[in-house]
Amino acid sequence: MRRIILPILMMTTLLIASEAENIIKKLDDNMRGQNIYMQISMKISSLSHVRTMKMQSYSQGTKKSFVKIIYPPREKGITFLSLDNQMWQYVPKIERVIKIPPSMMLQKWMGSDITNDDMVKQSSIVEDYDPKIIKRDGSVVTIELTPKEDAAVVWGKIITNIDTTTYTSKKDIFYDEDNKEVRYFIYDKVKKFGKYYLPTYWRVQSSDKENRYTEIILEEVEYDRDISDMYFQNSALKRFSR
Amino acid sequence: MYKLILKMAWKNSFLRPARTLLVITMIAVSMSMMLAIQGLYDGMVKNMIDKNKRSGSGDISLYAQDYRVEKDIKYIIKDALKIKEDIQKLEGVKAVVLRLLADGLLSTARKSSFASIHGIDLNEEEEFGEFSKFLKQGEINLNKRGALIGIELAKTLKVRVGSKIIFSAQDSSGDINSIALRVRGILQTTNVGLDTNSIFVDIKSLHKFLGTSSKDATQIAVMGEDEKLLHVVKSNYSNLDVKSFLELQPMIKQMQEMMVIFNSITFFIVMSVVFIGIFGVVYVSILDRIREFGILLGIGMQYKYIRVQIFLESIIVGLIGYLGGAVLGIVFLVYLRDYGLDLSSFSDALEMWGYEAVITGTIKVSYFTSTFWAIITASVLSVIIPLRKIKKLNPIEVIKAEK
Amino acid sequence: MFSFALKNILFYKGRSITTFILTFISAMFFVVFVSWQDGSHNSMLENSLKIYTGAIEIYHKDYRNVGGNEYLIPDAKSITDKLSSIEGIEAFSTRYETYGLLSSKEHSAASMVAGIEPEKEKVLSSIALSLRDGEFLDKNSANCLYAGVELVKKLKLHVGDEVTFVGGASDDSFAADIFKLCGTFKTGSFEFDSTASFVSRAYFDELMYAKNMASYITIKVKNLDGVDRVNSEISKVLDDEDLESLTWKTLMKTMVEAMEVDNVFGYISLSLFLVVIFFVIMIYGFINVSSRIKEFGVLKCIGLSRANIFSLLFFEIFILSSAAIVLATPIAGYICYYYTINPIVIEGFAEMYKDYGVVSNEMPFDFNIYTMSWNLGLIYILNFLSILYPYFYINSYEPIEASRHV
Repeated sequence: MRRIILPILMMTTLLIASEAENIIKKLDDNMRGQNIYMQISMKISSLSHVRTMKMQSYSQGTKKSFVKIIYPPREKGITFLSLDNQMWQYVPKIERVIKIPPSMMLQKWMGSDITNDDMVKQSSIVEDYDPKIIKRDGSVVTIELTPKEDAAVVWGKIITNIDTTTYTSKKDIFYDEDNKEVRYFIYDKVKKFGKYYLPTYWRVQSSDKENRYTEIILEEVEYDRDISDMYFQNSALKRFSR
Repeated sequence: MYKLILKMAWKNSFLRPARTLLVITMIAVSMSMMLAIQGLYDGMVKNMIDKNKRSGSGDISLYAQDYRVEKDIKYIIKDALKIKEDIQKLEGVKAVVLRLLADGLLSTARKSSFASIHGIDLNEEEEFGEFSKFLKQGEINLNKRGALIGIELAKTLKVRVGSKIIFSAQDSSGDINSIALRVRGILQTTNVGLDTNSIFVDIKSLHKFLGTSSKDATQIAVMGEDEKLLHVVKSNYSNLDVKSFLELQPMIKQMQEMMVIFNSITFFIVMSVVFIGIFGVVYVSILDRIREFGILLGIGMQYKYIRVQIFLESIIVGLIGYLGGAVLGIVFLVYLRDYGLDLSSFSDALEMWGYEAVITGTIKVSYFTSTFWAIITASVLSVIIPLRKIKKLNPIEVIKAEK
Repeated sequence: MFSFALKNILFYKGRSITTFILTFISAMFFVVFVSWQDGSHNSMLENSLKIYTGAIEIYHKDYRNVGGNEYLIPDAKSITDKLSSIEGIEAFSTRYETYGLLSSKEHSAASMVAGIEPEKEKVLSSIALSLRDGEFLDKNSANCLYAGVELVKKLKLHVGDEVTFVGGASDDSFAADIFKLCGTFKTGSFEFDSTASFVSRAYFDELMYAKNMASYITIKVKNLDGVDRVNSEISKVLDDEDLESLTWKTLMKTMVEAMEVDNVFGYISLSLFLVVIFFVIMIYGFINVSSRIKEFGVLKCIGLSRANIFSLLFFEIFILSSAAIVLATPIAGYICYYYTINPIVIEGFAEMYKDYGVVSNEMPFDFNIYTMSWNLGLIYILNFLSILYPYFYINSYEPIEASRHV
């Protein structure tokens, strides 16, 4: 789930105005070497039903990550390994490792509101967007992010509200090119982990439909934990499935 | 003597003006309608083939072996640039272009769709197939990450000129890469595969994106109708998959053949009925004048002159009918060529089958020559039976007898 | 007047015979051609329909536009119960369609995997008949997969091999299973054969948590001509604003338009033919009349009115046309009927036109009394029109002038 990490990194490193750029770059570099362990609970709601999943995620930098689903029992033991640009999946029920073809990787992830844009993004918000402050309200700064001309992002603009006491975002709103809202992220329950603040409750909500959303709760987060390299090899898929 | 015969034939043709006029009208109307229909059908097929060739494969296309089945970027023609230069030197070649193709995902903030991206060189495509004529909206411009999108694909993704689209695909090293593009124009090629599925970008940009060498290409398309050219190319490049337009689209070949058959049948039927019409009139006109002919024979006129006169009468009527038909036909055909037949209420189906909604006709000289001969033949044949009647005449009996 | 007309006809044999023959031929040709055109269109339609699409299908609104698990029909049984009371429905079945990844040892392909009721599909669609290798499904087929030949080729599989399936269940949760390829089919439609595969619902529903759900319900009607009527009855019975019932005319809109285009062209060509015939009939009528100018002049002198002349001409053409049509009708009718029952078979026709959705070598005709009636009616009208000009021609002569005509 390194994909979730990227936005986290962006939220925590985003500072105000252009003085930020140097600092952002340093922080960015800093983050890259990190090993992070997380236990996540995800609730996906759509028109017809609600579904909850729990998973454990191990990641090294932005290129390697290993995820194991631990709940519900039906899907327990399913593992995903992503190395650079390739993705594999192991399904214990059929005892098979499947390589996910690139075309499937570009689709929505398991029915959630996380789109291919999130999945495939290589570069950071820092590289792809130009920030501009549009409002200050106490410690909350509202920044408008406009994509750079050549940036390969689908959004017309993103408006983010950052709490400067923790340097975490409270709300991100995503707009299409016609300036219509498409979806928004809400962040809450910020906690401190070592040097960093991180919201442990996230919600991705479709702007059109009230009951279409995905909720993510970070139940456990450990930075700089020792993660064995064994997690990032193909053998990990089966080995750590139990 | 023949001058006299001609004069008499002319006068006699218009003995009963109304009758003669009717025949002439019949010939003219039938002929012009038939010409119009032939022009329309031929125009349809020609149009479709033409557009298909210009936007797609050209007269001949070269691919790497297995590319058409596997559709993977790794099946690329190496040193395509050199091959292109060599082919350009061959006799009969009008234009050659290189194209780079890849499949991937096209997305906007709200929707994604599978699509094919075509890397092209605008100037060369313009020379190759007048590419700019396919433009429906916007402008032909691939600068600064510009892209041209097929009309049906634009509808599916709900994009307009100026919209931003993101194309994601696997590049040559296996990585998934994305590129931001701006829609600069919307195309309608009536080549169904292209309109529903494709975007066009500058080939150099696409090479960069995919990490392929600009000397290579997925497809080499050649315009050149020479029969021998195909053989030459096939034998020179036997390691590549070389196919002619008709080999890639066998359906169209059959359609052409069907059109020819269909037009011939129509032609034959119509001419037969015209023949019946001319026959009736000629027969009656001769019967009316049987006394006159009898008298002529009686005073010593040779049968052969009478025969010539009858032929001339029939041919005069046929010719005037032909001219009327030709004039009317030209009017119809020019109208169809310049304005076309508007069938846009059926546009969905027509476009699905690769036709335009407004069908323009073509004009071929053969229409006019073949109808000319047909009418002359009908006129000539129609006098044979009446002539026999005259031949058997006994002048005395005829003069004596009451009408 | 009538008997006068009759005498004239018998006297002027040349004109009568030619008019008779021309009318006869044009009537025959017209009826047979239209019948053939309609018949082959209907057959093309039925064949495309038979492959997979139903004559009528019931969907949740938005399923076709947006798709996805949100717009599945949640309770299929409540709908199918209502359907059994509708006259005109020959058979119906529920289908649960989903898209997933099928993988063999080295190859993967995206495919539409549909849970079907095999017994019902045998009646409704031709997928069972398109069997190539192995066998079709039945309700005890368990994890048997029935896949299109092009798909099987892509995956390089043989009957009996295992295939992995990965996809999303009806609640979007992860679904995976191992199927066994039990049979392959070839419908002739390349797209269908390379993306479609089927599993028995009895088994698939468990995997997908899809019991009693459906992507849509497909219906076969007894008679395609009455499809609109049956559809409106279904809509009344459904009584639910979230559901929509659509006929093939909407589902296969492009095919409908293609047929209309074909019709247009057919009629254009036909009209050319009819115009020419019209002219010739008129010419013969005219010649006949112009040679009787003297006669008409005399008749007018002795008191026959214009109306009488008109009715004379009218009766003449009436008798001729009717005779021709009365003769043509049973013959044309028989031809149409015969070829409706025993269609013309052109070997290789389907192979040539398979990309247009033609899957059968048969070309049946369509026997439709209504169509034939208007065809014949048109011929009649044309014939009657042909006497107009001759009539005016007669009237342009003063009676005295006419009676002295040479």
